[in-house]
Amino acid sequence: MSKGISLFELQQLFYKEVFDADSTENAEFYKCIKPAKNLSGEQSVNVYKDSILGGLTEALSSIYPVCVKLVGELFFNHMVADYLKRYPSGSPDIGDYGSEFSAYIINFEPVKELEYLADLVALEWSWHRAFNASDSPGVGVCSLDGLAGVAEVDQGGIQFVTTPSAVLVRSIFPIHQIWQVNQEDYVGDGIVNLDDGGVCLVVWRNAAFGMRIDVLSEHEFEFLQAVVDGKSFSEIATLACASDLSGILGRCMQTGLIAGFTLVN
Amino acid sequence: MVGFFVFLCGISMTEKRFPTVSNIAGAGLGLRSSHYQHIFETKPDVPWFELLSDNYLGEGGLPIVRAEAIRDLYPITLHGVGMSLGSADALNTEYMARLKSLADRLEPAYISDHIAWVSIEGQYTHDLLPLPYTLEAQKNIIDKISKAQDILGRTLLVENPSSYLMFNCSEMSEEEFVNGVLEQTDCQLLLDVNNLYVSAQNHGFNAEKYLETLPKNRIKEIHLAGYEDKGKYLFDTHGYTVHDPVWKLYQKALSLFGSIPTLIEWDTDVPDFDVLLGESKKAQKILDEVT
Repeated sequence: MSKGISLFELQQLFYKEVFDADSTENAEFYKCIKPAKNLSGEQSVNVYKDSILGGLTEALSSIYPVCVKLVGELFFNHMVADYLKRYPSGSPDIGDYGSEFSAYIINFEPVKELEYLADLVALEWSWHRAFNASDSPGVGVCSLDGLAGVAEVDQGGIQFVTTPSAVLVRSIFPIHQIWQVNQEDYVGDGIVNLDDGGVCLVVWRNAAFGMRIDVLSEHEFEFLQAVVDGKSFSEIATLACASDLSGILGRCMQTGLIAGFTLVN
Repeated sequence: MVGFFVFLCGISMTEKRFPTVSNIAGAGLGLRSSHYQHIFETKPDVPWFELLSDNYLGEGGLPIVRAEAIRDLYPITLHGVGMSLGSADALNTEYMARLKSLADRLEPAYISDHIAWVSIEGQYTHDLLPLPYTLEAQKNIIDKISKAQDILGRTLLVENPSSYLMFNCSEMSEEEFVNGVLEQTDCQLLLDVNNLYVSAQNHGFNAEKYLETLPKNRIKEIHLAGYEDKGKYLFDTHGYTVHDPVWKLYQKALSLFGSIPTLIEWDTDVPDFDVLLGESKKAQKILDEVT
């Protein structure tokens, strides 16, 4: 190896050797290394490769435990292997890794028959994000106590804000039941009928740090989606959910799903 | 709306706030999530805890609340891998801002990271990778440490690596590289005695001679952990009790550098808290003999 290789080039070669075993540049990398005294070059590099790929696989396993349970650990590791190569981690926080796993699964041929799997994985990702979400709404969001002070003429401009952990999930499969029967503390017959149909869910964390998956009606889901999309109260009043708006709003405020509001002109 | 599941994870919080510390002493422990409840319930006699900073970078939730509760009971330090100080990439300022925010919130005695790299071209391996010991790599990490210290507004501790390969292009030994970094920055050394022993065995250099080259006044913390003997090499798994040769090297380090705050690390197959506590008591006994 070349004494003249730069730090950047060396690190690029190292990365490629780990994540792209077929790279034509890998031979160049092996010329650069001096293995540990009792190991070959390949054995030395494999210590790192196994540690890196094993660590990333472990991170995904901890985010997607129900998926692991459903497909089995060995198959999960096989499923993940290609994901690790195609979706590099772009954040120093390993908790940010794995967001595209649901989209990846949709096109992963060997699990095509498990039609619900991608949605279930999306639910697990939502749980992971909700668990680590911010505790309070951002700057400029008014407390709900301030609603009474909004003049009647301005009320149409109210934009409600959900608690930062709230993530809406919709599926044509009863993924919440699949999730439930695969929890360690589940007691029951474990039977889920896929023909039970779809479900609207919100995954969130309450003020006592309790993680929740709440089943929503179509109207509740439409309302919360509109809130997440930044629609004003006057815009929401034109939607189908307006038929039960006060009831929905009351329940969302009582549980803490709606955490504040802003005013738009 | 139907409440489907509620998982409440209660923790016992304390109202007493530990005074801000400027230093740590004695044999501490690496905090692991499986031990939170035990610690909150029994408040064990541990002089300080090290928290893995990268586990508390989320915007909120239970992890940071638990970290604050631990901080209220014990002095703490923050230890991470995410700075990627040895990478040819520029310092990730977004990460540094998150780390600074965490440090402002938790007020650790020290913040530490590694003489290693974990990312290149913005792609993260989340694993500590070895550096070539070249002047270019040395200058690069010196610049990065200086910038990181500027952002954090405090002195960093950097840890010597364990390694399984070296590079033909290296222009100096590891100890020359480390000493050069210490000379040209005002950072301090987190001396990982287990890493040193593992690397010395894997590459066939003399660990004691390495220790003798280090500047006494720049070593602010020591790490101890258990390696795994893989037959042809030693693997730094942090999954075992500290092995005898590492205890001996630790005693040598203390004889050279005096009573340095020491931490027991355990990352894989984490056992009951009492096993870790036993290891820290063992380290404390050796520390007491020095003082």
